[in-house]
Amino acid sequence: MRFVKSWIVGLVLFACGQLLYADDWPEWRGTGRRGVLEETGLIDSFPDGGLAVAWRTPIRSGYSGPAVAGGRVFITDAYRPDLRSTAVTERAVAVDELTGDVLWTHEWATNYAGLQLVYAIGPRATPTVDGDLVYVLGAMGNLLALDVETGSVRWEKDFAREFDTAVPSWGMAGAPLIDGDRLICLVGGEPDAKMMAFDKRTGQEIWRALSSDWEPGYSQPIIIEAGGARQLIAWHPRDISSLNPVTGEIYWEVRHIVDMGINPATAVWSGRYLFFTSQYGGARMLVLDEAEPGARVLWEGVGESDPEYGRDFNTLNSVISTPVIQGGYVYGVDGHGVLRSLDIETGQRVWETESLIGESTNWATAFFVKNGDRYFVNTDSGDLVIATFSPEGYREISRTLLIEPTHPYVRRRQSGTAVNWSHPAYANGHIVARNDEELVRLSLMDGE
Amino acid sequence: MGSDVYFRLRIVLASLLVSWVWLPDVVTTAQRDGADARRVVVLSDLHMGDGRDASGNWLPYEDFRWTDELELFLAALQSDSEVSTDLVLNGDVFDLVQSGDGACSYEDGDLGCSEDEVLVRLERVLAAHAREIEAFGMFARTGENRVVLVPGDHDAGLLLSRVGRRAVEAFQAPGRVELATEGFWRSGDGLIHVEHGHQIEMRAEQFEGWPLPVVSRSGLQYLARPWGEQVVQPLFDDLESRFPVVDNLADVSAGVRYALSMRGNTDRISGPQLLLRYLLFRPSWQQFRMDLDRGDVEPPVWRLEEVRAEGPRFLVDSLPDDDRYKGVATEALEAGRLDGLMATLSDEALSMLCDRRAAIRRARRRFERILSQLDPTGPPVRECPRTLETRGPRYEYFWESRDRLFQRRLDVVQGTGPAIDIFVHGHTHLADYRQGNFTRVEAGLAYVVDGFSPVRNAASPVVINGGAWQRTVTPVQLERFLQGSETDEQEALRQLQPEQLPACYSFVEIEPYEERPGPPALRYWRQQEDGSWGPAGRCGRELME
Repeated sequence: MRFVKSWIVGLVLFACGQLLYADDWPEWRGTGRRGVLEETGLIDSFPDGGLAVAWRTPIRSGYSGPAVAGGRVFITDAYRPDLRSTAVTERAVAVDELTGDVLWTHEWATNYAGLQLVYAIGPRATPTVDGDLVYVLGAMGNLLALDVETGSVRWEKDFAREFDTAVPSWGMAGAPLIDGDRLICLVGGEPDAKMMAFDKRTGQEIWRALSSDWEPGYSQPIIIEAGGARQLIAWHPRDISSLNPVTGEIYWEVRHIVDMGINPATAVWSGRYLFFTSQYGGARMLVLDEAEPGARVLWEGVGESDPEYGRDFNTLNSVISTPVIQGGYVYGVDGHGVLRSLDIETGQRVWETESLIGESTNWATAFFVKNGDRYFVNTDSGDLVIATFSPEGYREISRTLLIEPTHPYVRRRQSGTAVNWSHPAYANGHIVARNDEELVRLSLMDGE
Repeated sequence: MGSDVYFRLRIVLASLLVSWVWLPDVVTTAQRDGADARRVVVLSDLHMGDGRDASGNWLPYEDFRWTDELELFLAALQSDSEVSTDLVLNGDVFDLVQSGDGACSYEDGDLGCSEDEVLVRLERVLAAHAREIEAFGMFARTGENRVVLVPGDHDAGLLLSRVGRRAVEAFQAPGRVELATEGFWRSGDGLIHVEHGHQIEMRAEQFEGWPLPVVSRSGLQYLARPWGEQVVQPLFDDLESRFPVVDNLADVSAGVRYALSMRGNTDRISGPQLLLRYLLFRPSWQQFRMDLDRGDVEPPVWRLEEVRAEGPRFLVDSLPDDDRYKGVATEALEAGRLDGLMATLSDEALSMLCDRRAAIRRARRRFERILSQLDPTGPPVRECPRTLETRGPRYEYFWESRDRLFQRRLDVVQGTGPAIDIFVHGHTHLADYRQGNFTRVEAGLAYVVDGFSPVRNAASPVVINGGAWQRTVTPVQLERFLQGSETDEQEALRQLQPEQLPACYSFVEIEPYEERPGPPALRYWRQQEDGSWGPAGRCGRELME
């Protein structure tokens, strides 16, 4: 059935003659977690009146982004039956990619007490799809392997109960990562089970690594290839750790303390460079050893908690937003809403602008997806932007309102009191975005 | 409940006795009903001592060397002539305990100074700090200002009649300087309560008969010596001559940890059990924030039988590995000198330690640099075992012990008047950090409250520790300084003088009000970037080389 749908999608797209290459978006930031959209034939600018809506499907609240694979869109959400209580029902939802029809749902009960409640609106982690299973993670550490066809539970874990995880204040956020037969997870368990690998078919533990004497943080693990080895990069609030993804053995670690454990941005890998940024811990640019697994700090920028912090010489202190590396430059959104370019070799600021976010505000966020020489950028005010970045500056090509922001935001900003902190999926000529009320699929194909 | 009633009854009786037998005709202070709205400013822990030696050098015990800054501060307070101020000197203004005179030493460790001996010490302090006394007196004589002396543990002798009378007279502001003979000060409307803080439960400096801190022997009256003073004061006396900043650390007990760790052995510590107990229960609870759960979360239930089974090792393990006293405590443990200590601790005390360990662990797991005392990057302690039902993130409320402690204190001092809105204390020298969990919204403006409320989900009453009008340094700052020092640690600590500590003096201010007081504000009197002095919301914390 899955194959039939894929063929239908492909035929329809081919018949339209618009999309030359299409792809799924099966996990956080797309295949390989690279934030790269390989599709061609997409629009150059947004039409007046915005993108054409394929469908809208009501959902509940949450920060998790959608994943798209095999003709289905997967999303997680949550609702509180009684707003005076912290008891919550979390849910995984599968939606038909073409029609938006809900194919199945699976619910589980949890409780958000212990989270910072203003942000406790739902799951954080984007589902990960692999073959006939979709892996979802709730905000309190409920990990479920669900059948993509039916939503039935193949296996599940409760991190708090089974591994004594102390869930951090903003919930479990690390989306499960597939590596061969392993499902690698940021667990934050005890003892020494900050990172764990499970058999992706059975849930059986394969390895565990790293002490949980320090919080797990909120970053997404990635796998890179450098120094003749595949390396699992686990960035947590005390260290940047490189592990052998097969065994959990530590290759190398670089101390990088992030105050309050807040490190939601994903590590950015580009050739010999590996970049990390956080608001309170500052930035670190590592250079990877080419001969063997290893890394050294090329430069570092102070965080807002560092005594040396000052607006004039900090590098890039992103909060949620994951920057990008292009050529010899880093581009990213600082925690105060400034889009900034840095020299990759020195960390020196090349330029900065408020044009992308449009205001100076705390914890501003944008998600960058590279498509050819340009980027699709989702701002947290709900805009979708097509832009290019170069050492000369930021060039905005087109902008449209993609989705109404609804996530609660405790700091008032000019653009309203709500934000959209969910990373959309780009798949098969469309963008799929969510807020706390709906999942919406819109066409990016030229001419629609 | 019975013990509470008994305790309150004792306070009332003791107050009556003190008023009738011991005290001069000073008036218990209060903001009078019907009076104009007044500002309340609370300072504590100046620890004015014997001053200088014959050659003009500061005596090593002298903590208050900041006359110029105090005069500037009082002048600034006076400059606002529109507002009348109740300036509450909240205990340990005079240091009548630590002195190099060799007096007040009795075989019976429970005995402190006689009234005559305290009086002699007071006269010496008054002479050594004539400028400060004159500045306070001038402030009291200005406009409709008043100055209130609240006795602390180091100047509990003020509650002796001749001592109290002499202290009040010294300010030369008749009717404007008053002694809080009840042992605390309460505003006329009953909404603001100020006490030094040593009488709060679990404090080792608590006097049994407060506010009558005396014991009788053979028909003679002496000041009582709480067990904490008996254990720790000799250490301070011994150590301060070699490490002048030993009691300038905040929390004040931290200095003992440093000095003892550098001295390197426990041989000369009499009663290591009591010292460990003192250090475990001494630090301020306000090293920890509680900004996330807004009080919605349930507390974990600790498996105390397993904790007890660990024996005294549990107590030593309750000190983080970077606690300077841990090595000394471990040595005492291994020598069997802590045996039996667990048996002296109640379940509630153990739960308190478990809460504290969990709070340290949580704060350090997430690198809360905002902590004011502990190094946020230090090693986390291990949590006590929880019951299975209370494992997991739903149960993260570790401040129950702290809240219970202050709620009980509020119950004890509440009396029959209106509910106390603000409870100000000092004693630990570590000011409360502002709490993110309570954001008060008034007149459309939201602002974070300094201090905390011990009542969950409530913004009132607010408890606030005003720190010390003193130069203090936290262990984190001291560590930074020691690491940057070119000499070895012990020598660096030996050479460090109070004058090198941040010139930053904390106090609590409550703005004039009509109906109910606004939230108390923690302020610091400090030098601004342009060199002028003024109040600030934060303290510059760098030590001077």
